[in-house]
Order: sequence, then C-alpha cells, then structure tokens
Amino acid sequence: MQPMLEWQAGTVTAIRPETRQTKSFTFALPKWMAHRPGQHYDVRLTASDGYQTQRSYSIASPPESLGEIELTVERIPDGEVSPYMHDVLMPDDQLEVRGPIGGYFVWDVSLGGPLLLVGGGSGVVPLMAMLRHRAAQHSTLPARILYSSRTAEDVIYRDELERMAGADRTFEPFYTFTRQPPAGWTGYRRRIDATMLAEVMRPFDKRARVYVCGPTLLVEAVANALVQMELPIEQIRTERFGPSGA
Amino acid sequence: MDDDETDMNTALMVDGNAVAGQLEQIFGRDMTMAIARCAGCARDAQLGALMAFIRGPGVVLRCPACQNAIARIVETPSATYLEARGAAYLRMAPPP
Amino acid sequence: MAGLISRGFLGRRRPAEVENRLPPGQYLVTDFPVLSAGPTPHTALDRWSFTIEGLVRSPVTWSWEAFQKLPSQTYSVDISCVTKWTKLDTKWLAVSVDTLLQAVQVDPAGRYVTAYSDGGYTTNLPLDEMVNGQAFVAYQFDDKPLEAVHGGPARLVVPHLYFWKSAKWIRGLRLTERNQPGFWESLGYHIHGDPWKEERYSGD
Repeated sequence: MQPMLEWQAGTVTAIRPETRQTKSFTFALPKWMAHRPGQHYDVRLTASDGYQTQRSYSIASPPESLGEIELTVERIPDGEVSPYMHDVLMPDDQLEVRGPIGGYFVWDVSLGGPLLLVGGGSGVVPLMAMLRHRAAQHSTLPARILYSSRTAEDVIYRDELERMAGADRTFEPFYTFTRQPPAGWTGYRRRIDATMLAEVMRPFDKRARVYVCGPTLLVEAVANALVQMELPIEQIRTERFGPSGA
Repeated sequence: MDDDETDMNTALMVDGNAVAGQLEQIFGRDMTMAIARCAGCARDAQLGALMAFIRGPGVVLRCPACQNAIARIVETPSATYLEARGAAYLRMAPPP
Repeated sequence: MAGLISRGFLGRRRPAEVENRLPPGQYLVTDFPVLSAGPTPHTALDRWSFTIEGLVRSPVTWSWEAFQKLPSQTYSVDISCVTKWTKLDTKWLAVSVDTLLQAVQVDPAGRYVTAYSDGGYTTNLPLDEMVNGQAFVAYQFDDKPLEAVHGGPARLVVPHLYFWKSAKWIRGLRLTERNQPGFWESLGYHIHGDPWKEERYSGD
C-alpha cells in the first residue's frame, strides 16, 4: 500500500539565491520519504482569513539528500506563492507541503540511458535532480543536458553543471541563449530547434531517453521535433510549466 | 495570428503532471502513468502527457492529438466531481 | 480544508474602500486573470457568425460585418469569478441581448437560454435574466478589440452572475424549454450562480 498523500509542515533550513529571479529553498521534513528524481511537491499557503492558494514545485535535490528537499523557485512578479517565498519566507519558518508526487516524469539510474535532458528556464529544476542523483550514484550512463536560457545571468546551477562536467567525462552540458549570450560565446544562440537537437543527440541517436521540461511552447516544439526525428514516443517524457516571468 | 498571440495562448496550458497530486488524492495512487484512450480519436496518452487547463472553476484534461475533453474535475467544499466520458477507458497497472 | 497559517501571508485583499462592492467571499484584483477550459479558439472573422435559434419562430444569424453594424453601447460593470476574484469597472463595447432578441420571435415556451461557444463550452440561464440590459455580447474591452485570450472575437457578458456564465468565444444563443445545465453547471456548479447569494456550487 502506498502511504497516503498528506500535508506536512516543512521547516526552512536554508535559502540560497541562484540567479536574480530564482532561489533555492531547503526544507527539513518530519515525514520525509525518498522521492524519485523528477517528482514535485505541492506547496500551500493559508492566510489568517482562511484564504488558500497552492502551487507545485519540482524537487531539485536528489533522493540521496536524506530528510530534506530542496525546491528551486522562480519569482513570478504577479504570482501568489513565489513572491511570498522570495520576499517573506525566512529560515525556521514553516511551509505546508505535500508529496512527493508524480510517476510519469521521473528518471533514476535503474531506467538506464543514454540520457538526454532538455530544459528551458526553471524547467531545468527536475532535470537537475536527475543529474544530481546520477552523480550521487557515480553512474557512467552517458548523459547530456541541453539548457535554454535568455541570458548568461539566467542560467541556474551554472557552476555546478560545469563542475559536474569537469569531474565526469560521461556528462556534457550544452547551453543556448535566446536573448543575449555571454561575451565571447561561440555556442548556440537561438531557441532550441530540430537541428540543434539532432546535433546534441547525435551520439545517442535513437537510443536516447529524453526528458523535456520548461515553458509549454518550448516543450511542444522540442517534443514535436523529436517525434519528427522518429524517436520512439515511449522514450520521450515531457513536463510543461506555466508561463514564467518576463 | 501573430507570434505573440500564439505565445500567450499556448503558454497558459500545462499538462497532467500539474494535477498529479489531485489525481493521487482521488485514486489513492499516482495516476500520471495511467493511459487514457481518447473516446474521440482513439489515441492513447498517459495522463501526465494530457493537455491540462487548471486555472478555471475546474480542471479539464484534453487529448493532445484532437483536444477532446477527456476528463474534468471539480472540487467543491462538500464533494469532488470527476467526469471522464471523453475517455474510452483508463488503463493502469493492477492495484498494488 | 484547514491549513497551517503561513506567517506573513496576506492572501488577497478586500480593501475597505470597495468593501460594499465585493460580493461575499470575493477578493479584489486589478489585473485581468485568464482562465479557460480549453485551448483558445481562433475563428477568422470572415468565418465567424452569431446565431439565435431554438424555440424561436425562425432562427437568425449575423456575420461579423452585420454584427458590427448593430447598435452598440459601452458598459462599465463589475465582474466576479467563482474562483474568488472580482474586477471592478470593466469597460466593454457590446451589443445588448435585448437588441439581438429584437430580430427573433421567441416562443412562449422558450424560457431558458443555452449560450454556446467555439471549443464546445456551454452555459445556461433564464431568458428573463438576459433581458432589460442584464446581458450583452461584447467585442471590445478597454477600448481595444477583445483579445482572443479573453474571449475574442466576441463574448457574452452577464455581470450579475458569476463570470463562468459570461461565455467566451460565443457563437450563439439557443432558446430552450428547460434550464439545461452547461459545462460547469453539469459538474457541481450552481445552476443560477448569483455572487451576492454565493451560489457557487449546486446545493448552495
């Protein structure tokens, strides 16, 4: 029997800025259970008059981080929950969460590879959980991430991805910038398209297990391109996020 | 139809992953991997891959191929409603 | 659905200065939230039409061109969504349903209306709550053509009922004998939907 999904109060143990619009929040959970990379938690806020609002955030931390979860959250200017988390929440505060949730958009080393992760904006968060898990397991399943951001300042986890690549020859990150690449950039500088995907996927060919996450438009474009390239549909998993901040 | 308008309209749509928690509360287990056969066009898709409209009075899950409404969910203070006439069936692993 | 009170979370507002204009349980918004049950339809104006049919002597249909020539007026109304937001003083350019009904002869048995839209959405209401200025079909919002995400080319607006009754992408009104529950009314929402009586769910 699966344990019932219920709300619990997580305690904020750390808050770390990642980019100008995103922060990572670590929560100690009294009823923590090991999640699968790619899953998410629902977060619920209640005001004193009983008004409630709820959002879902992908888990950034791997299941190897025991007893706690990390959520990386983009601040959406006219949002309800993300501005609260960014502007009000402090260490030792409690936040009501429910999870871990999701069985479709998950990967762990037992599912094998080669692994191609495609993400845009905060869509990189569940993909990062997958990569952190892979690293914690010392897996050598070939893995690549193709990560689309507006500018260099918007790349979440940049240093960690570079360190991971430096320490692990079987992992390679690729970045593309849609608005302003870093000075001297010689890599991709456009929205992800079929050509770019084909290039990044070439060593994996039709064996790739692909996870695509980010704004709906990006996910649709990538998923369509992969299907056109005749990648078997069972090897493609997608997760669409709502609109991100401007 | 210009690019900006396409962006705004499609941008609002998410997928069945967004209601995974809600479905788990209703069914008692994760449902994002359950397969729905569309009663409209007979295509199969996992619930996690269905188009989802979640900001209105209720949730509407639609076939990614033909946009037919496969299921609708409404939560009121006294009841949860689930209507799935748009699914010829839901297929899932046997209960644990 | 009690929850842990979140320190410093203020939720939404019921500012004192507009308190008497907000129906019970509603909160004020100043943006215009976009909510929908399906993908945004895109009907080209040269294929768009609006029809009144059902229990009428004979149905009538307007093309976009003909519709634009109907007498129109500006409205400034407050709108309340069952998801708890209320927006005050929304401005529309619209044709009143009274004007549209002048083109048909409604059967005495036609006491209810089903409004139907591109994409399959429907909602229902009594005919006598659509007349005498209570309802209009709008094609401009805030002095600009109604955007597709907000229901353009044209939407129904019935400000005295919850906004799910204000069908976006409307294509016609069908006069019926019985009050036939529409898209949300058939799945737990109140058949009438008066925000001042908090008629949100069936059984309220």
